[in-house]
Amino acid sequence: MGGDEQSDYFTIFSMPARLVIDLPALEKSFYALSRRLHPDRFAARPADEQAAALAESSRLNDAYRTLKDPIARTAYLLKLEGVEMEEQSSSATAAARATGSSKKQIVPEDLLEEAFELNMQLEEMRMAKQMGEDDPQLRKDLLAAKSSFDAKMAAAQAELEALWTRWDAALDADDATAKAAARDAMVALLNRRSYLRNLVRDVNDALEA
Amino acid sequence: MAYSDKVLSHYEHPRNVGTLDKSSESVGTGLVGAPECGDVMRLQIRVNPETQVIEDAKFKTFGCGSAIASSSLATEWVKGKTVSEALTISNTDIVKELALPPVKIHCSVLAEDAIRAAIGDWKKKNGVAEEAGVAVAASA
Repeated sequence: MGGDEQSDYFTIFSMPARLVIDLPALEKSFYALSRRLHPDRFAARPADEQAAALAESSRLNDAYRTLKDPIARTAYLLKLEGVEMEEQSSSATAAARATGSSKKQIVPEDLLEEAFELNMQLEEMRMAKQMGEDDPQLRKDLLAAKSSFDAKMAAAQAELEALWTRWDAALDADDATAKAAARDAMVALLNRRSYLRNLVRDVNDALEA
Repeated sequence: MAYSDKVLSHYEHPRNVGTLDKSSESVGTGLVGAPECGDVMRLQIRVNPETQVIEDAKFKTFGCGSAIASSSLATEWVKGKTVSEALTISNTDIVKELALPPVKIHCSVLAEDAIRAAIGDWKKKNGVAEEAGVAVAASA
């Protein structure tokens, strides 16, 4: 694989940039590559070679950690495809300021409304809980909210996996339009997921408090 | 990372938290979000139709301390300004006032977006063209 800093994480493992991946094969490949870079093998080598092997080994670890995690893998691929969500966001604000218009939100309106509404409901429950100690109805409401958020998270995960298949098919067919469509759908889904993730975290906090 | 005193002050005693009547002609509502951190911010303004002065502003933000402080400050700043004066508020003003660290700059961006979105909504309701629309029409 060489010490090429430019090679992306998929290339390090000699894999195409597909999203449905063979995890056991990835793991096997990771261990094989790790052994080749093990410090013991470089103990008798010059210092610069040792340092290079160490750097490569650390990049290999980053690559493995990123690719084996479904969300990190998706986000990484989107980055490779040129999606920089935060960057997009601040440049869009600068453009809006220059033209005196409102900025087009990256997150669709209905998702923002849903996230806002769910946060409002959750906050009401949390405030009521702070006031009235152990109201069994509140706990029931919180548990219902939790199972609803968990179900939405699970649905988002299933939807994401379907998009992986769509992406892989578009990649294999070398279909730029289909690739762009799958990419945009994944960006939208990851955005939605980050709102859901916060809601799940907050409802769990409320239940434990 | 420690929050600045001004962030803490707005976070612990947020100004103008609440709701204005979304259906009112004189109220503009902006709902914006930062997907990277899952923040969502709603900012509302009530505009005097005669003078175009923003007479009241309310916000509700779900997010970190900096996002809450940025939107709280934004409501304080827009109150008493005309709509066009309010559009000159930029996120860098908010960053300076609250001494936000680089990782929290997106919170100030969100607050600026929210002001613009609220004013945009009010303009749409009241048939005031957004300046971008005017510019496009003029260059066409």
